Amino acid sequence: MAKEGSGSILQFAPFQSSVDEGFWHRLSSLKLNKFGIDDSPIPISGFFAPCSHPQVSNYLTLLAESLPSDSNEESSIPAFNRGNRNRCSVPGILYNTNTMESFHGLDKQGLLKAEAKKIWEDIHSGKVLEDSAVLSRFLLISFADLKKWSFHYWFAFPALILDPPATLVDLRPASQWFTLEEAESVSTACNEWRNSSVTADVPFFLVSVGSDSRAAVRHLKDWETCQDDGQKLLFAFYDPCHLPNNPGWPLRNFLAFICARWNLKTVHFLCYRENRGFADLSLSLVGEALITISQGWREHQCVPNAVGWELNKGRKVPRCINLAKSMDPTRLAISAADLNLKLMRWRALPSLNLDILFSIKCLLLGAGTLGCQVARMLMAWGVRKITLVDNGRVAMSNPLRQSLYTLDDCLNGGDFKATAAVRSLQRIFPAVVAEGVVMAIPMPGHPVSSQEENSVLEDCRRLNDLIGSHDVIFLLTDTRESRWLPTLLCANTNKITITAALGFDSFLVMRHGPGPFNSTPDLKVEMPNSLSDVLDNLALTNTDGKQRLGCYFCNDVVAPTDSTSNRTLDQQCTVTRPGLAPIASALAVELLVGILHHPYGIFAEAEIANSNNGGSSELPLGILPHQIRGSLPHFQQMTLVGHSSNSCTACCSTVVSEYRKRGMQFILQAINHPTFLEDLTGLTELMRSANTFQLDWDDEIEDADDECIEL
Amino acid sequence: MMDVFNWDGTVSAKDFRIGALSFAQKWESLNSAFPPWSWVPCPKHPWLASPEVDIDQNSQTDPGEEETSCSEKEDDIDDATLVQSNHHELHYCDFHIVYSYTFRVPVLYLRAYCSDGRPLLLDEIEKELPACSSKESPETKWAFITQEEHPYLKRPWYKLHPCGTSEFMKLLFLGGDTGQPKLEVVLELYLLSWFSAVGQVVGLRIPCKMLNDRR
Repeated sequence: MAKEGSGSILQFAPFQSSVDEGFWHRLSSLKLNKFGIDDSPIPISGFFAPCSHPQVSNYLTLLAESLPSDSNEESSIPAFNRGNRNRCSVPGILYNTNTMESFHGLDKQGLLKAEAKKIWEDIHSGKVLEDSAVLSRFLLISFADLKKWSFHYWFAFPALILDPPATLVDLRPASQWFTLEEAESVSTACNEWRNSSVTADVPFFLVSVGSDSRAAVRHLKDWETCQDDGQKLLFAFYDPCHLPNNPGWPLRNFLAFICARWNLKTVHFLCYRENRGFADLSLSLVGEALITISQGWREHQCVPNAVGWELNKGRKVPRCINLAKSMDPTRLAISAADLNLKLMRWRALPSLNLDILFSIKCLLLGAGTLGCQVARMLMAWGVRKITLVDNGRVAMSNPLRQSLYTLDDCLNGGDFKATAAVRSLQRIFPAVVAEGVVMAIPMPGHPVSSQEENSVLEDCRRLNDLIGSHDVIFLLTDTRESRWLPTLLCANTNKITITAALGFDSFLVMRHGPGPFNSTPDLKVEMPNSLSDVLDNLALTNTDGKQRLGCYFCNDVVAPTDSTSNRTLDQQCTVTRPGLAPIASALAVELLVGILHHPYGIFAEAEIANSNNGGSSELPLGILPHQIRGSLPHFQQMTLVGHSSNSCTACCSTVVSEYRKRGMQFILQAINHPTFLEDLTGLTELMRSANTFQLDWDDEIEDADDECIEL
Repeated sequence: MMDVFNWDGTVSAKDFRIGALSFAQKWESLNSAFPPWSWVPCPKHPWLASPEVDIDQNSQTDPGEEETSCSEKEDDIDDATLVQSNHHELHYCDFHIVYSYTFRVPVLYLRAYCSDGRPLLLDEIEKELPACSSKESPETKWAFITQEEHPYLKRPWYKLHPCGTSEFMKLLFLGGDTGQPKLEVVLELYLLSWFSAVGQVVGLRIPCKMLNDRR
């Protein structure tokens, strides 16, 4: 039912591209390992298949296999050979540039013309008859940004322009064009063609139907022999497009070929489409097109113009894809680390709060044996924000016991520990947000000269700022007195504070109780000084009347003083059994995780192992002790409780309110006058009254050196 | 011969291979609505592969990367190109069934991407999985999707973590009150049963005829 001369312009649905991730992976690999900066064009293969679904078009797909093999990539996946019915191979060329500028600077018109010319040559040389897939030759330009893992690309599917354009006389589903018998025969013949590995991927062919309704599928090169009268002859092609009113892109060059080669003016074509792997003649279309060729087409040298750059959402711009998530090693490390923790939550600990672990900021005072191990354990738990403070340099003996350092850090006098530690953490897990601060912690009992005063005050302020900007503070230094100022500052701001201290073969790990003020969990506001007296009554207790837990100094009867001068060498170096630091560090971090999961956090009561506390021991992570003291000689560990002391030199209300009133001057006084703190807190008084007791038995006051003080 | 009571829910590599081939065969013959599974005989880790079309009529165009390059000189005006205005964004999903030597169970690997090849991220994939694998449901005890390197293709894919598989396989066979099956029967039906459970998580169904066909 041809409509005479009233046809509309035949409009073709453009090819669409689909690039599998694997293609970019292989291109990156080739670029890095093989090509380097060489940007000569690369021959590639695209793959397509006839439309297989009534609502979805098929695409021209690029896979890893589209590129030449990368010899470094051991791949024994059997190559997808010719003959794969779902992967009709189409030749293409890739121009991959080295910079964004050269990508945009490529002569797109020129490149398109060059590919069009190749198609034109193949048409005239007869190559198309041998390998018809060359009619669908394509072009790809790209720029692979291997720092950001993003790929800019643009496809062109060159189509020779018929001038004037072909007109469509008729287009209808194939099932309406053939008789029933013919249709059946055509389907059978096509299915055979598709199922034979010799022809399955040959995308252009002939369908001839005899007067006996028997159909046959033939190669293009058999065209001459198909010139029987009484036969219907259709030019058939694998049509990726699913649309009912338009044929797909491959028909453009097919028509160009037909009219250039055989000089036909009327062409009956079959857009071959499938459904579920079988020929579908209601989806497939049969059409009739009228072509008028200009003079120029006879002349081989005159290459017709071409169109074909793929539109990106309707615009003439390139596409871009970012694959950082699946290619950037840092991202992959992050997701692997997350996986581990999520698995833990899924399989063993559903109440694990990963958000708090990912967001919490930890300050580690000391980057020695304890600091290194605590940092590693924190990262293992998913903590990402870690600051280390240490003013020392890595010494030759350090790498053995301080797990973040290696020999390289010791050379040339040794790097600063804080810096070397941060570097090491980043090598272990690039996504860690680690900072190193090279700074000494001002200590009471180590008086400073007036010239040094300003810099010491500066250090105090800096320490205060650091504590203020972190959520958790670990006291991991190697002297008692260096823990005093941080303890005071933490008590003042109610920060979670965890102390770890080592003796020769014993250790202490404890969490400090909350500070004397802001006792209720809801009171996050800093009390103005005038109210501090009123609140003094609350100083020792939480609102529920229970005593608050003590800090590291609460049980001491002497103020921290200089414990380092006038000691023998073996007393000066912190000599401990190597196993202690890892044990204590691990416990310190586990204790922190317990605090973070306790509903009362820093205000949580202490629990002792083997107690019969009904409610809180049912917390998934177990009990939350106050102090853990361990002894290696006995391979034993005890959980203990110590409440705050009214006379504590670091956290009692007297000291904290003095600090609030007088700030840095108070600190300076404590630093410079060894007995100041004892006088202030009444410890001096306490000692005096204790000494007036006439007692025979030995009133042993522990040496300031001994880190582990027995209750 | 091991007693089914002592069975630990796992399957040997050899049984996996036999089961997989038979599964693929049955699927192809009885479930032609879906693309067939093909056995990829790679020497160390053979697996079953299936390119699966997951038609998601998701007509919101996804933002993607914005290209802001300069406009090009106009090509020849071409009346013969159809300009399509609306473009349904479709999502495709590939599934692989790989044998895990560590866990001794099959593992379902999946990968999803848009029509232009852009890979979908886990949260985008999870949005499209059936409601029963949302986080609240008890079935999610077994449905933990993680990103891991495909053991052979060496690229990040998503997989249903296998650590719960042996447990639920035991439950499947021994938890019911249909009497104690013989171990040979259990192994024969292993892959089918495994898939019926795991497939639900990702929206793949086994038609009844496959389950009833006990040849």
